[in-house]
Amino acid sequence: MKILVCVKQISDTDDIVRIDASRAWIEYHEKTSFRMNRYDEYALEEALRIREKYPETSIDAISLGPARAVSTIRKALEMGADNGIHLLAEQNSFISPSEIATLIATVAKPKGYSLILAGVMAEDDMFCQTGQLVAAMLGLPCATSVIYQERFENGKTLYVEREIEGGQRECLHIDLPAVLTIQSGINRPRYPSLSNVLRARKQEILRLNIKDLRQPEPCECLACLSYPQTQLKGEFIQGSLENKARTLLRVLHQKALL
Amino acid sequence: MKAQIVIVAQHTSGQVDPVTYEVIACAQELGRKQNFASIVVVLGKKTRGLAQEIADTCGLEIIGIENEALEMYNAEAYRAALGEALMQLHPAYIVLPHTSMGYDLAAPLSIDLKAACITSVEAILTTDHAVSFQRSLFSGKIIAQIVPCKTPAVLTIQPGAWRAEKEKVTHTVEICITQMHLKPTSTKTICMKPSEHEGLDLNQADVIIAAGKGIGNEENLSLIFELAKIFPNSAVGSSRTVCDQGWLGYQHQIGSTGKTVAPKLYVAVGISGAIQHITGMKDSQVIVAINKDPNASIFSVAEYCIVEDLEAFIPALLDEYRQLKSGQK
Ligand SMILES: Cc1cc2nc3c(=O)[nH]c(=O)nc-3n(C[C@H](O)[C@H](O)[C@H](O)COP(=O)(O)OP(=O)(O)OC[C@H]3O[C@@H](n4cnc5c(N)ncnc54)[C@H](O)[C@@H]3O)c2cc1C
Repeated sequence: MKILVCVKQISDTDDIVRIDASRAWIEYHEKTSFRMNRYDEYALEEALRIREKYPETSIDAISLGPARAVSTIRKALEMGADNGIHLLAEQNSFISPSEIATLIATVAKPKGYSLILAGVMAEDDMFCQTGQLVAAMLGLPCATSVIYQERFENGKTLYVEREIEGGQRECLHIDLPAVLTIQSGINRPRYPSLSNVLRARKQEILRLNIKDLRQPEPCECLACLSYPQTQLKGEFIQGSLENKARTLLRVLHQKALL
Repeated sequence: MKAQIVIVAQHTSGQVDPVTYEVIACAQELGRKQNFASIVVVLGKKTRGLAQEIADTCGLEIIGIENEALEMYNAEAYRAALGEALMQLHPAYIVLPHTSMGYDLAAPLSIDLKAACITSVEAILTTDHAVSFQRSLFSGKIIAQIVPCKTPAVLTIQPGAWRAEKEKVTHTVEICITQMHLKPTSTKTICMKPSEHEGLDLNQADVIIAAGKGIGNEENLSLIFELAKIFPNSAVGSSRTVCDQGWLGYQHQIGSTGKTVAPKLYVAVGISGAIQHITGMKDSQVIVAINKDPNASIFSVAEYCIVEDLEAFIPALLDEYRQLKSGQK
């Protein structure tokens, strides 16, 4: 079975995010640290676990992004993916989910994957679209927010549990080939083993410039970015550490909460 | 029936989900701004009761689409049924809630309809010639305005972004129920089952101290538990990330896929304030947020905001508390 895992590189969520001068996208600086989208880590780990169970499986990891995205593909190889594919977008600019999905689907189509995995969403742009779009473009069934999956003996069908609101799960049977978007908590992603780190260091990553692929037609465009005008409901407590602690205890006491 | 905005209702076990009325409020706003009429589509095995309830609450025309295969949510069946209905209605907008149903369905529908797709919309902006939709990026630290470049546009609406408007409906509302023929689906929805996360009743607590990823490691949970101890009838909650890390069990998780709580006091420690978390705790009476990032979104819902490193602040707070206590004796 051939599995494709979509991995996105994102800037670390604790970092300060700045809008660029034209208000068109995010400006990153030398100190920005980048890492794999957490939900994609869970997706990759799930693929690795499938391969442990069915050793004939091979896993490709694909990422669309600027040159720096290579490090995230490398991380996927270190975790254990067999091959890396980099769809190079030269500029650091907004690319809509439909464009990203078109490019991934274009590359995935001739490869005949049995299973395509992605994270349920990207932590940065939070669209929750890419996996579903790839599925629809390739005419494959899709289940989102998957928190459990298991292949039936026949090798053709998956039993899948989707996490829905209100503490419920939706259980379904879905035929392969299929696309699943993976929810966090489905597994515990591993740390790379030394042997995989060494292997990944030397391994070639297939690079395709998105300029050379079929140009997707944008369905949505980003008009501009801004910072939220946070209407503070409350107040920032000021002063030294001790003062803040004292003030907080005082107000909680006054409100009879303590 | 003719309408430019089609709302897809969400319901579970025979009840209309409250989020449906938020989506309707959003559609009404969009309709007022563009002079468009709205219609609600309800899919199910039986839809009469649901349709009547929605009609009585918002006064919009309703289409009920019925088929055995629509008894439980099934992406394939919903997509086929909606696709057919939408081909006939030709709307400019299709609006759904941004829920496990809405984001499951929106993207494939946009492919079927050759439509734009904008997810987790929080506000609508109109200028003379364009409508754009506002949504958050980077856990709410950045706001983006997105313009659809195609008609129709499929939108999913962030739960909590609109307040449900209940109006007194005086006119009679047209409800049209049809049986739709659907091909058997290859994806089969088998059943619903509860996630096994019971065993902790957060709703009984007056005070919840909630830990986020910002605690950094499992050992720091002791700070959270110690802090909880100074409050009577308190419990420890957490963000999803803390559970995913295995630091706490999922019974502690608060948010859209965890528990919804409204204690007298909610203290969010090292929690960024992702919308999925805020959904589960925003109705708490008093919210205190402790975060080292002054731009963290959690501060926008908190009454008392403290920008500090929790590893320094919580010990200081516990110290001050002990001094206060011993002073009182
Ligand atoms: C479909 C779906 C459903 C979801 N459901 C839920 C849900 O029910 N509940 C939920 O919580 N999440 C849910 N999430 C996840 C959610 O989007 C966020 O990823 C999650 O809430 C983030 O958790 P966090 O705030 O603990 O971590 P982070 O976002 O990583 O934030 C950590 C925060 O800690 C601060 N910090 C770091 N170090 C310190 C320090 N030393 N002192 C003080 N502050 C510090 C940082 O500034 C940051 O703000 C869901 C996501 C999806 C896609």
